[in-house]
Amino acid sequence: MNNPQDNRNRYRRIWDWFWRPTTQFSVGFTLISGFLIGILFWGGFHWTIEASNTEDFCVSCHSMETNLGEYRQTVHYYNHSGVRAVCSDCHVPKEWQHKIKAKAIAVKDVFYELIGSIDTTEKYEARRIDMAKIVWKKMRANDSRECRNCHAFEYMDFTIQEPRASSEHQRGIDEGLTCIDCHQGVAHKLPSNWLEEYEKLKNPVSASNFGSLWMMALANKPAHESDVVGSLEK
Amino acid sequence: MLEILGTFAGNALSLPGILGLGFGMMTRQLYLAGVIGGLVGILESLIFSGFHLAEIGTLELTLSVLVGIVAGMIGCMIRRKGATV
Repeated sequence: MNNPQDNRNRYRRIWDWFWRPTTQFSVGFTLISGFLIGILFWGGFHWTIEASNTEDFCVSCHSMETNLGEYRQTVHYYNHSGVRAVCSDCHVPKEWQHKIKAKAIAVKDVFYELIGSIDTTEKYEARRIDMAKIVWKKMRANDSRECRNCHAFEYMDFTIQEPRASSEHQRGIDEGLTCIDCHQGVAHKLPSNWLEEYEKLKNPVSASNFGSLWMMALANKPAHESDVVGSLEK
Repeated sequence: MLEILGTFAGNALSLPGILGLGFGMMTRQLYLAGVIGGLVGILESLIFSGFHLAEIGTLELTLSVLVGIVAGMIGCMIRRKGATV
């Protein structure tokens, strides 16, 4: 049986050895070996980050099966050109600082998977709106950054878009909207109360009047400023 | 909370953490190491915002400076402990 005193002495010896000046190695040897080990570690770290960006990795958790099934029915999975957007294309930023931040935050997903927060259909549906709101909020804050990795107004040819799409995209530019303001649920199903919840997220003050504005939109009536003001006054 | 932890981790693995530690190892003056680390934090915020001051978030800037200062000081302590010069 190990004596605690022996263990302490062992750790002390390792600590002293770690900080002992090198006498066997030249400065050049130490620098070159440190450089090579640095490359190996950095390469390994980057490889691991990229490995965690693959679709196989994302859907390896049981609770992601629902997500996967829904995504496979969308244009981002199956389309005429064969170009796909996998999970990480929409959920992981490309820029280093945002990517590392997203990866650190994603540790919570592992925790929730382990405690089974969404491991049944009932639990998943109960939390669907909360999960959606987290993504909507994030995308509104960063101007739908991940959408814009592939889609950009600057490179859209409005003349070959459907009339409704081109007019809505023009409206998006004019009103400073961001992609997620109109394109919710492009990869996953929307919860039943999504519209109300999204409007609360977008404009908490006037959320109670949103019903009348939405009816205007359904009636294909442009919601001009006067209409909006009128609706709010009612 | 997650936002803060994520930003903290992002900075630790980015310029303030790595360069701050490296610069900190170049001096035995603890305060100087902290100042250099903090400057690296400011520099990182500027670089990643494309030098647009309006795009720098208060939280991001604060945390990157904080991480830079801590990393610089740790680097300085490594220098003090592990070098004779």
